[in-house]
Amino acid sequence: MSGFLDSVRCSECIDWSEKRNTIASVAAGVLFFTGWWIIIDAAVKYPQTENLNHSYHACGVIATVAFLMINAVSNGQVRGDSYSEGCLGQTGARVWLFIGFMMAFGSLIASMWILFGGYVVNGTADVYPGIAVFFQNAFIFFGGLVFKFGRTEDLWQ
Amino acid sequence: MAGIKALVGLSFSGAIGLTFLMLGCALDYYEVYWPMFVLLFYAISPIPYFIAKRVNDDTESSSNACLELAYFFTTGIVVSAFGFPLILARVEVIKWGACGLVLAGNVVIFLTILGFFLVFGRGDDFSWEQW
Repeated sequence: MSGFLDSVRCSECIDWSEKRNTIASVAAGVLFFTGWWIIIDAAVKYPQTENLNHSYHACGVIATVAFLMINAVSNGQVRGDSYSEGCLGQTGARVWLFIGFMMAFGSLIASMWILFGGYVVNGTADVYPGIAVFFQNAFIFFGGLVFKFGRTEDLWQ
Repeated sequence: MAGIKALVGLSFSGAIGLTFLMLGCALDYYEVYWPMFVLLFYAISPIPYFIAKRVNDDTESSSNACLELAYFFTTGIVVSAFGFPLILARVEVIKWGACGLVLAGNVVIFLTILGFFLVFGRGDDFSWEQW
């Protein structure tokens, strides 16, 4: 018996491996900017510093700087098989990436600290700003990971 | 000739999208014009792609960090176009119905822009430099 979906070949009409870098970039963009819009939402809903302490925004800024640092060096430079040495060489790339990942993890952990130490434990009525800070940092963190490791750099090999 | 048909279809869907946006702004029931600022997002959404395309013209390598950065920023602009009316509705500047209309217009217009690139972007007979 022949079904009317027999001729549909989903895996053949679109070559996903060619599109992998594009999809990873778009996914990372969605994650990153959704994170920032979450904190914008919290900031316009709670403009008072009693509800959402303005210094909590530093967490997301550090996460963004870490995002840029992580994605500024390519995997090839860390492994040492790129054509050019770059300005600091392989060791410099490793140190740079180490500091970047440390800032990324640090901002994620700090946002959890803000959520629990600033809102949950205090018994504040409105926990939403803390949750927004946490989700902002989580989205930026995972956006950075997707942009860094979702893309491959040697598709032509 | 196929280009003409596609052009007419795309301009039709673009007009539909702008109609949704204008309905969200200008109906007597809503009457708040703040969502019009998403027009800025529509205007700047293709710009990262143009910049990346002009910066490196080699298309033989499929891994292209510059182009991927452009996709990243374009996605950010698209996400911002969806986030902006949602935030406006959440702080009750506009009503949720207007927000829904603007979001529908967003979907249609970004699909139109995407369609523009899919139809005209890769063909050699129609390049942006000819304009």
